[in-house]
Amino acid sequence: MSNPKMIIDTDLHPVPIHEQVAEYLDEPWRSRYLRGDHGAGHPNYFNPSGVMRADSVAADGRRIERFPDTMASHFLDRYHIDYAVLNPMEAMEHCVSPDAHYSAAALTAVNSHFVEDWLPVDERYLASVMVAFSNIELAVKEIHRLGAHPRICQVLLVSGSPFPLGHSYFHPIYEAAVEYDLPVAIHPGLEGVGIAGSGGTAGFVSDYLQWHTLLATSYMTQLVSLVAEGVFQKFPTLKYIFVEGGVAWLPAIMWRLDKNWKALRSTTPWLTRPPSEIIQDHIMLTTQPIEEPDDINHFRQVLDMFDAEKMLMFSSDYPHWDGDTPDFALRQLPGNVRDAVMYGNAQELFKLETRERVV
Amino acid sequence: MPEVFVAPLADLAAGERRLISADGKSIGVFNTGSQIVAVLNLCPHAFAPVCLGVVSGTTLPSGAGEFIWGRENEILRCPWHGWEFDLTSGQCLTDRRRLKRFPVVIRDEAIYVEV
Repeated sequence: MSNPKMIIDTDLHPVPIHEQVAEYLDEPWRSRYLRGDHGAGHPNYFNPSGVMRADSVAADGRRIERFPDTMASHFLDRYHIDYAVLNPMEAMEHCVSPDAHYSAAALTAVNSHFVEDWLPVDERYLASVMVAFSNIELAVKEIHRLGAHPRICQVLLVSGSPFPLGHSYFHPIYEAAVEYDLPVAIHPGLEGVGIAGSGGTAGFVSDYLQWHTLLATSYMTQLVSLVAEGVFQKFPTLKYIFVEGGVAWLPAIMWRLDKNWKALRSTTPWLTRPPSEIIQDHIMLTTQPIEEPDDINHFRQVLDMFDAEKMLMFSSDYPHWDGDTPDFALRQLPGNVRDAVMYGNAQELFKLETRERVV
Repeated sequence: MPEVFVAPLADLAAGERRLISADGKSIGVFNTGSQIVAVLNLCPHAFAPVCLGVVSGTTLPSGAGEFIWGRENEILRCPWHGWEFDLTSGQCLTDRRRLKRFPVVIRDEAIYVEV
């Protein structure tokens, strides 16, 4: 198997140094942030491995994901990654906080921390502008503050939301994103937290195994809502990235939606073509956590059931417990989509220049 | 097969491990309390350095809502994806893949691995 010409990681997880984040905050938020208020509380589903990989530690004892230099040397260098999208941890909780003014301020500071303290350290990093749901006006203001930055590559939301993301309440976010030609990305993990729904649409499950498995149902909900509410008719240039939702669930929900549309189209008259066509034009998926059936050909057959060559982008999720390294993801993929998935689709979406590998 | 010295037997208490390099391989040697075992430091799933993982017991198969703890020091949990391996057999508890094992020899109160 030959190595791809480039590798673009669409989901890398740095963790902020909170004292540095606080430098970007004014009072009354600064002292509150320094006292440890880092967003809405979790229901504390327990993962015996820890959510962060225990071995993500540099030789000098520093956690790799907390410093731009260790992240670059221990992950980007090691796996020959040419670009990596930073989706910060210990920060997404603010996206679903009911405390609108504080969470907006905290996210503004986190965004500034990564733009100011991470991007200059390594040219491979791309940053997200992360915004909260509880005050759309403040979310839009933050997109306008950073949207034109050349290395901001997406607006980042979370997939756990107070109501599905197709609703018109959220449209000002999409309007602002489109203004800067930025895709909108959603990331899981806040289902059941703060003002977000429980994830599993039947209610709260009791443990991490169920919760994490059912994150895919969040994505189904958001997909159907975005398409059926006509978001892509209203914003025809908008691309929406489903980060870390897995892959294999997509064909089944796409077929079900098409089937229902054939009978129920009159209830959504703006859907003038099969929903699956809209999905394939506007939705991107990232690979991790890539499904691992016993027979790898079953997964490869799933990739034939939608336009994986256009819609799928590699993501590592490093340093999370369920991450996929580039070589691992590459082994799951059939040859005809490898280049598109490992770099081609992300390069086109984020308009990135080709980099010649030095190593 | 050549034997590689690991440690005096008294130096490897139950639950402890040594990592050795031999014949170009990284190998973990573990004392489960009832036996000394040696396994290749390579997870058969995604090729992680599995021997850096936590060694503990685990919850035994049980009825719904029942939690029975057992097999202390016999279970190695991979540091990347959390797969549990039975050190006494090398077998993963949840997948058909297994750790590669090496014969262990105890002679003159010392541990050797055949590589």
